Amino acid sequence: MMRCLCGLFLVLALHGPARADDTLTLVLEPSRVDISADFSGAGVKAIGSMTGPGELIVKVLGPPQDVRLSRKTQLGPFWVGGDSIKLGGAPSLLFLRATAPIAMLLPPAERERQGLLLDSLPLRLEPQLSPEAASTWRKAYFELQRKNGYYQEGGEAIKISESGQFIVDIGLPGDLQTGSYRVEALRVSSGKVLGRTTGEFKVRLVGMEQWIWNAAHAAPWLFGSLLTLAAMLLGTVLSAIPYRLR
Amino acid sequence: MEIFLPIAHMDVNIVLIMLYGALVGFLSGLVGVGGGFLITPLLIFTGVPPIVAVASGAAQMAGTASGASYLHWRRGAIDFKMGLVLMLGSSLGGGFGVYAARALLRAGQFGNAVIFLYVVLLGITGAIMLVESLRANLRAADSGIAHGAGARKSWLRTAVERLPWQTAFPLSGVSMSALVPIALGAAVGVLTSLMGVGGGFIMVPVMIYLLKMPTRIVVGTSLFQLLFTTAAVSVMQAGVNHSVDPILAFILIAGSTLGTSLGIRLGARLPADRLRLILALVMLAVAVKLVLTLLLAPDNAYDMTTELH
Repeated sequence: MMRCLCGLFLVLALHGPARADDTLTLVLEPSRVDISADFSGAGVKAIGSMTGPGELIVKVLGPPQDVRLSRKTQLGPFWVGGDSIKLGGAPSLLFLRATAPIAMLLPPAERERQGLLLDSLPLRLEPQLSPEAASTWRKAYFELQRKNGYYQEGGEAIKISESGQFIVDIGLPGDLQTGSYRVEALRVSSGKVLGRTTGEFKVRLVGMEQWIWNAAHAAPWLFGSLLTLAAMLLGTVLSAIPYRLR
Repeated sequence: MEIFLPIAHMDVNIVLIMLYGALVGFLSGLVGVGGGFLITPLLIFTGVPPIVAVASGAAQMAGTASGASYLHWRRGAIDFKMGLVLMLGSSLGGGFGVYAARALLRAGQFGNAVIFLYVVLLGITGAIMLVESLRANLRAADSGIAHGAGARKSWLRTAVERLPWQTAFPLSGVSMSALVPIALGAAVGVLTSLMGVGGGFIMVPVMIYLLKMPTRIVVGTSLFQLLFTTAAVSVMQAGVNHSVDPILAFILIAGSTLGTSLGIRLGARLPADRLRLILALVMLAVAVKLVLTLLLAPDNAYDMTTELH
């Protein structure tokens, strides 16, 4: 525990808060996640301190993504693909952590205002749908994101020490979207937000992974041609070697 | 042992992917199919996005078919003339199929179309081959050349014989209009783009039953034309959809090369009817599995795919 707290003070001293609030500080360690060949997930720690009374909520928001949602419908005895919609601007990841169940900390209106309710997330649906239909698709999307582990809510997941320090573990999955991840810490009391601070960490491809992604998108035809030639060469060489050896 | 795939944007187990490759490579070497009808569902089951599975499967098949063609060429079992004519058609069909795949993807119907095509083609072709090979096995009459269509001349064969551009294919011992393999190649090219398959499981029965080619030559020639079909589709999938993952494709090729070598050696020892029976059973097994996915109620009726950029 002592080692952890020493580390916390060292990190706070070195980095300083991302955006200072008198009563709340927050540092993200590491502030950058590199995706290379051996990447299978990562952990980011949100380290901070809080002075004064109150509870803490930490929100992690992934970069927005565009997805297509489709649903199966029953056609006679068969389950076949039915209609689909495009859903834009949805955060690719949403983690909510708190010192107590969030529903007990803030009333629904305040949670909505702070973007702590799924229904308050700014999603674009294409084509435009009736409110009822849109609500059905939104719920389905949230359910899928929860099931896949991208949307998580953990009340009582944060413990604050007597001196006001806290460490929040943010476990990131292996199929992480690249971009900027925003972390927001809220100090709440009596159903109100009393303080707030934010931080940001970046997720990016590095090394060969970055080179491949860039090449595949910057010069796709050349990339495809060279890749296919390389595949053919690899297949021939791997087949020819044992044949020649025999 | 995990590795991150930059285009699929996920991590996979290298050993598992190599085993997938070895399995489809074995089938390729044994019966002349590319194995795409197996590799695509396997990759999707692992979590690879469907469009990446289809596109990377095409690149893998290009590599596998290249190696297998080399081995068959050394055995003198490729009708290059027939293969090149088929290639001409499949290139045309493959180009059309890539754009059809993109349109279906945007309409959210890509997965539906793929499953429907799989069930119909695998089911019908597999059933026909199973019946024929069982009959042939019962007759115990395997001369290395298929007799599945029987001695009676079908109306289709009569029509084919009346087409222009009649050409001889000496190695296969057949003569027909060049339009026939071109049309067949075009149909297979469309399937390759849509389904991530080389079309071998359609091409092999067609060569055996419709074109009356010897099974030994069919396997090598099918793989030779698959080489060009899948290579063309791989390039087009990368160019249009940016969806070929090289790391995934190379791992699959490494596994499939080993499987192909084993398949070719076993295939050389088995009688032709037995080979067709094996192919028919594999195709029917996959078709049954897919039918079950259509019949059984899904755990979640909703599905999500990330939009391509």
